[in-house]
Amino acid sequence: MSKEMKANNTNKRLHNVHLLKPGEYYLQGSQACIEGAIMAGCRVYGGYPITPASEIMEYASRRLPQVGGRFIQMEDEIASASLLIGASWGGAKALTATSSPGFSLMQEAISIAIMSETPMVIIDVQRPGPGQGYITASQEDVMQARWGHHGEGSIIALAPSSVQEMFDMTIEAFNLSEQWRTPVLVMAEEPVAHMRERLLIPPWNEIEIIDRKKPQDLGIMPENYLPWGHDIVAPMANWGEGYSVNFVGLVHLEDGNITKYGPQMHYDCIERLFRKIEGNVNEIARIETKFLEGCKNLVICYGCVARTAIEAVIEARKEGGLDVGYLRLITLWPFPQERLRDIVGNVNTIFVPEMNLGMMKHPITEALRDRFKKIVSIPSLGVLHSPEYILSKIYEEIR
Amino acid sequence: MNKLWIDERYCKGCLICVDVCPAKAIKASKEINDWGYILPTEDDMNGCKACGLCELMCPDFAIAIEEVDE
Amino acid sequence: MKKHPMLKYLKEEGPLGQRMPLILCPGCGSGQILNYTLHAVDRIMNKDKIRKENFLFISGVGCSARLTSHYLNFDSAWTIHGRTLAIATGSLLANPAFKIIVFTGDGDTGSIGGNHFIHACRRNIDVTILCINNGVYGMTGGQVAPTTSVGTITTTTPYGNIEEAFDLCKLAETAGASYVARWTTAHPHQVIKSIMKGLRKKGTAFIEILSQCPVHNKLSPVTMLKKLKESTIQISKEKESSEGETLIGEFCDLDKPEWNESYQKLIDQFDHEEGKS
Repeated sequence: MSKEMKANNTNKRLHNVHLLKPGEYYLQGSQACIEGAIMAGCRVYGGYPITPASEIMEYASRRLPQVGGRFIQMEDEIASASLLIGASWGGAKALTATSSPGFSLMQEAISIAIMSETPMVIIDVQRPGPGQGYITASQEDVMQARWGHHGEGSIIALAPSSVQEMFDMTIEAFNLSEQWRTPVLVMAEEPVAHMRERLLIPPWNEIEIIDRKKPQDLGIMPENYLPWGHDIVAPMANWGEGYSVNFVGLVHLEDGNITKYGPQMHYDCIERLFRKIEGNVNEIARIETKFLEGCKNLVICYGCVARTAIEAVIEARKEGGLDVGYLRLITLWPFPQERLRDIVGNVNTIFVPEMNLGMMKHPITEALRDRFKKIVSIPSLGVLHSPEYILSKIYEEIR
Repeated sequence: MNKLWIDERYCKGCLICVDVCPAKAIKASKEINDWGYILPTEDDMNGCKACGLCELMCPDFAIAIEEVDE
Repeated sequence: MKKHPMLKYLKEEGPLGQRMPLILCPGCGSGQILNYTLHAVDRIMNKDKIRKENFLFISGVGCSARLTSHYLNFDSAWTIHGRTLAIATGSLLANPAFKIIVFTGDGDTGSIGGNHFIHACRRNIDVTILCINNGVYGMTGGQVAPTTSVGTITTTTPYGNIEEAFDLCKLAETAGASYVARWTTAHPHQVIKSIMKGLRKKGTAFIEILSQCPVHNKLSPVTMLKKLKESTIQISKEKESSEGETLIGEFCDLDKPEWNESYQKLIDQFDHEEGKS
């Protein structure tokens, strides 16, 4: 790298006087998210205002110059998502936050990020739709997260359910994006972004930060470097490092050649993208369970609905005497089908409370197809389920 | 006399070089190659002063002038 | 066999096979503009002692964009239609030392990329935008573009275009670009000088280059180059114009604060001494 490129590189070392020191804090979810991002090394933010995600951007505008990063409010969401691609290939970890209508606009950029294997993180603070949408709670983008981008390939999507998780899982999102060279989505909801809770920041040396593999570290010289080769997750040389990387956004050979097209080349290129994520689902996906062993009924939930669902499950077991288990999807995509089949035995009824009309119910049904007698959606549109509401639906069905 | 080199792998016979040469030292050849292009070729190279205009205006990087000291 | 002097900046071959010849049609102006750009970059590298790894070429989609598809022996990006300037902004935020050249077309700049274009100029980010204006959507088959003149028959205006054309240079100047110029592919030395000026300037340099599309105009490249020369007139000679020729030349050349320069002041107000873990 040339001297002036090195001197101007936005990447700053992790330990910086303006990062939050280890300890207890009382922060909003939006703020915790940005604190997690800058702890993970994010130094570029480009966004566009949209309720209920604007607080994330406002907080970023204040914190980023403090830690030597750069913040910009772009002209629309399409520009924000495109900016992440340029920033990531320019060598920085980059973040944006939006809500559902903006998320729809970002799909083309997400698509090209998947194709070019660009690490980047997008926070989607979901709001109900369709259309302009209302500004309250929703989980209506969980399918769009997986299938919204055009084309094949796969993506990673996480669902935080507390302020602590907004911090921890934003760091996890950056780590996953760097490790697997993919865009990662953090599917938050309005309650989680706006609530204020206790945040615990551990000692800095206990926080794992993962950076992208570099060809320089593997001893691969520019003349032998294949930008999308060498391994299932290719080492990534950024622009400005002397590797003359030709970024392309469509089917290519491992060296970036786009002329030698053929059906087999097309298949090989796309299938590797798919397998890179889906084939490593056991390493990527996380699940949380409680009371699962031998339970007769099961509540499967994710995001902030998990906060009220666990209350309902505890109450159903204590007061109702019902044998109900609890399973929380921490990672929505890639969907951990095989893991679910490994840990869930035969149950009578599965309850899926969601802030939509039943979206994650579908991959759950597919995964546990022969393990249940009945699967029941508990939808709630525009408002977070209360524990009483979920409990009443459980009682209606099985008491 | 300077020498004209045409890279037959890249030349697409647009003949811009023939038109811009101030010394009229390049002409279209009489042959069509396998791609269907009529390639340029040396005409009277005595006037060529290696001004570089043909190299500058070529869209395909297919031409080069070799200066030969006499 | 003596090779073209600018081939050292291109990848004729990659590790997995042949990349050249350029995919462009015979006589395409885009190829000439690539040639002029490489001449300009070559001179900047030698005169200003700037290293190759500082340069970054970004393009969107279209005939103009194919220049970066996999030919350049520099860092390059062939990205999504119209979003090149947002991507360039991202790269500059990651590292302000990049010398970015954006290849874009009249549709890529004036149509789908319009919003990003005016905001990039407004912010005066440090890019050199080369707008290859051939007055039509070439790659997709010859549809009307926002720069197509009234009356032109294209595949989507079979009865003649009824819309006025953008003056992209006026748009850039009004939006706030520091350096705005228009030339044609028939003015190689002027194009090279403008590109060098743009690369040296801290701020948005917008250089529109009127270019020939021989295929969609059904004219030979040589004829079209002659037409480009005859139908344009330098702004200094505007008074001598009588037939509505297009003005070419440098329209503005200002010194204005560049985005990263201004933002650096925000960063500098905080103390950034590295703390201990």
